[in-house]
Amino acid sequence: MRTKDFAYWLFLAPVLIALTLVVIVPMLLGVYYSFTSWNGITTGEFVGFQNYINLLQDERFLDSLWFTTKFAIVSVILINFIGLSLALIVTSRIKTSSLLRTTFFMPNLIGGLILGFIWQFIFIKVFASVGEMIGMDSLQVWLSTTETGFWGLVILMSWQMAGYIMVIYIAYLQGLPKELIEASEIDGANSFQRFRYIVFPLVAPAFTVSMFLTLSNTFKLYDQNLSLTGGGPYNSTEMVAMEIFNTAFVQNTFAYAQAKAIIFFVIVAIVALFQVYWNKRREVEL
Amino acid sequence: MPEYLALHYLYWKESEIVAKLLMDQLTKSYDNKTQAVKDFNLEVEDGEFIVFVGPSGCGKSTTLRMIAGLEDITSGTFSIDGKKMNDMEPKDRDIAMVFQNYALYPHMTVYENMAFSLKLKKMPKAEIKARVKNAAEILGLMDYLNRKPKALSGGQRQRVALGRAIVRDAKLFLMDEPLSNLDSKLRVQMRTEISKLHQRLKTTTIYVTHDQTEAMTMATRIVIMKDGVIQQVGTPKEVYDQPVNMFVAGFIGSPAMNFFPGRIEGDYFITGQTKLWIPTGALPEGQDKKEIVIGLRPEHISHTAHVDETTVSVKLDVVELMGSEYMVYGKLEDQPFVGRVEANIELEAGMVFPMAFDLEKARFFDPVTEERIK
Repeated sequence: MRTKDFAYWLFLAPVLIALTLVVIVPMLLGVYYSFTSWNGITTGEFVGFQNYINLLQDERFLDSLWFTTKFAIVSVILINFIGLSLALIVTSRIKTSSLLRTTFFMPNLIGGLILGFIWQFIFIKVFASVGEMIGMDSLQVWLSTTETGFWGLVILMSWQMAGYIMVIYIAYLQGLPKELIEASEIDGANSFQRFRYIVFPLVAPAFTVSMFLTLSNTFKLYDQNLSLTGGGPYNSTEMVAMEIFNTAFVQNTFAYAQAKAIIFFVIVAIVALFQVYWNKRREVEL
Repeated sequence: MPEYLALHYLYWKESEIVAKLLMDQLTKSYDNKTQAVKDFNLEVEDGEFIVFVGPSGCGKSTTLRMIAGLEDITSGTFSIDGKKMNDMEPKDRDIAMVFQNYALYPHMTVYENMAFSLKLKKMPKAEIKARVKNAAEILGLMDYLNRKPKALSGGQRQRVALGRAIVRDAKLFLMDEPLSNLDSKLRVQMRTEISKLHQRLKTTTIYVTHDQTEAMTMATRIVIMKDGVIQQVGTPKEVYDQPVNMFVAGFIGSPAMNFFPGRIEGDYFITGQTKLWIPTGALPEGQDKKEIVIGLRPEHISHTAHVDETTVSVKLDVVELMGSEYMVYGKLEDQPFVGRVEANIELEAGMVFPMAFDLEKARFFDPVTEERIK
């Protein structure tokens, strides 16, 4: 064993130093600040768990946490459903499949802020006009209520991320041995049964990856939130990331925001890790 | 399950299943240009074990896949018991197939793998269980029913793949190089097991292989293919003894048949400076003074004690002791050949040795068309 010699550490050093400087130190500092009354300029005094106690009674924070959770659950399901469906479509024998792939992936290339503004236009102007034409009142005044704001965000996020998740599913679907599909055809499976009993269980690893990505992305959503609804009306569509940002940079209570950020981090980490652990158990090696 | 049912299922396999196949001018072409299979005509009787054999790319697997319904048939018809199958889905053709790399469902246990097709047919659970158990017993898989394919050896996986086919009780078994992933010892063992299985089940089987030994040992009839065209159809003995052309003669038999180009002069075969006597009656008529290729199997080139007009002294380049016999490699007028010599004498490479060329057993081929001259 010569793994622990000088060269080993030498090659590892750049990564270790970078990781320490940009992740570990700020993280530890952040944990420390969350126990103080830091306001961004002066470190302030040590206040113990006061920030944490406060945030448990902070309705705006708890509301945003609940809103984010609802949003994440609905989005994760929808994105994965759409992503897998798109992947199944473009891996089937249709002629335009590579064109479709590009098209479906495209939204992912546009920045979140811009997307938010584009969809703001669609929801407010286009929906209203279409609603007027076909006489559907439910298409009027989108984004002006909590309900429509929520679904607006879900639609925007699904539209953007489904193409990305599709790519992951495509990779796994194409990796399925052709013989297995043929064997199931000969065994008498129709296309639904083939999906249900063969394809779906075998793309389980893709679920782990996709669920992880969608979960962490939807939980941490900020820019689309900012540009589409800006948190309104009355902060009712404000998600955690935005709430923390406002706490820090609008209200200048940096230490308090830091405490929220740490709670948020812990929640996302627990959910994501639990999800990975859970999904891993369903996976099979080919 | 009631006992009378159990008894019934115990013997379900013994029931007679009739399947007569007809392939009429079957053709497969891609993009209307490359023809993978050309004008494939074959009639298969019930219970036959047909082996498609040929070098890779000869169209044998494509033909099998057309029969299975995994490839579209470009033209021609394929029918089972007089029913045209061209446009039928694989699942409606009542066939079972064994794939080269087994194609077991990795997330299912052995039991689930075998039961899958029956489950899709909505067969009662008790019957599924009886059938799977029956197949598992035949194949010696009883102890592995709860394992996943990953925890099985190659031979066991192959058995599961066979099991998956036999529980189906299908009219037709298709096997696409099922043994090529196994090591040589296991291959020989599984070969006999598949043959036994066929004798027991009597299900019509089409088996694809590139290995002529498998073809010779298992088939009731062999179909030899090259470049998408059938070269010859016949029993193993027929294709070995009466090959229609040089391709078949060279492909069937191991080591392969030796070919010597030369000329006929009266009762003699002349190649270079060598003159060999052809026993009366062996030579087809009207070949005098003609260019010809002689095909001679290794077992017809051997050692002799007395020198006459059928013997040539040959320097042995390589001598391989196979146990009871030697394979000797030499050259006759620069034409390499393999002979077989009984191992009751001492031989080694470099020796010059009189070899008898038994032209009574020779096959004669046209050097241009490569067809056999009868």
